[in-house]
Amino acid sequence: MTVFISGGVKSGKSSLAQRCALRLAGGGKRYYVATMLPSDDEDRARIRRHVADRAGMGFETLEVPRRVEDCLSLGDHRGTFLVDSVTALLLNEMYPDGAVEADTGAARRCAEGLLKVAMDAGNAVFVSDYIYSDAIKYDAFTERYRADLASIDRALAAACDTVLELCAGCVTVHKGVWGE
Amino acid sequence: MDLIIGGAYQGKREYAMSRFALGEKDIFICRGDGEPDWSARCIAGLESFALRCVREGVDPVELFRAHERQWENSVLICEDIFCGVVPLGAENRAWREAAGRLCAYLASQADSVTRMFCGLAGRLK
Repeated sequence: MTVFISGGVKSGKSSLAQRCALRLAGGGKRYYVATMLPSDDEDRARIRRHVADRAGMGFETLEVPRRVEDCLSLGDHRGTFLVDSVTALLLNEMYPDGAVEADTGAARRCAEGLLKVAMDAGNAVFVSDYIYSDAIKYDAFTERYRADLASIDRALAAACDTVLELCAGCVTVHKGVWGE
Repeated sequence: MDLIIGGAYQGKREYAMSRFALGEKDIFICRGDGEPDWSARCIAGLESFALRCVREGVDPVELFRAHERQWENSVLICEDIFCGVVPLGAENRAWREAAGRLCAYLASQADSVTRMFCGLAGRLK
């Protein structure tokens, strides 16, 4: 089964995704696909918080900041993979190793890798960020990033069995079934 | 009239085309200048229309009221620009409010209101 989760900042996406992955895994293998490349202390603190959150849940952490489909060969592909987050993956693909110019093929590669995980994994849960509803005229780079992330979100939402939106910890089911 | 709202890049126009069997030529996209083509089967980019109204000092709701016979069977599309931090510039604040009031008015008049989320349609009304 595949689940796509999006919503605003601090709405409880990661925590819901963890519970969801645990349930899908049953007693089986479960992998946390860590995507963030920490760039400062704020990032490192955030990672520590996430690690503490999932302590005791039996996740094996796979560090895959790019080429997300590699997680399938790093672990047992029949297991359950929690990919958190699509947002970070796209950023890492767009600006590899401190590149200044965005890699224009990043969104397509990212989408293909994620769809491969959705197809081939035993179960997969994807977390993205909903950054599309404010009244700001962004610069061209940011606007490009928003458009690219949205195109990946739409592809994943179309491919996944269940699509959930989170707001203040509350779930709206946009596709499929969900119950805790 | 059927109203479709949703954030940027959420698949609003694509959905309208498929649900109402529209072609590109049936859709008028507001670009922030001039009047919309009120006779179009679908008017998209109402948030840009609202911005133009703010700049010209007119009320977008009043303008729509004045043409209600022309859009009463149309498909209208507006971007949801309502969930961010209060914008810094006065014009952006006025824009957001004008677009919000326009959406609320149109939703009250609509036969259906649909919200797009990552390409998926959810019925609000």
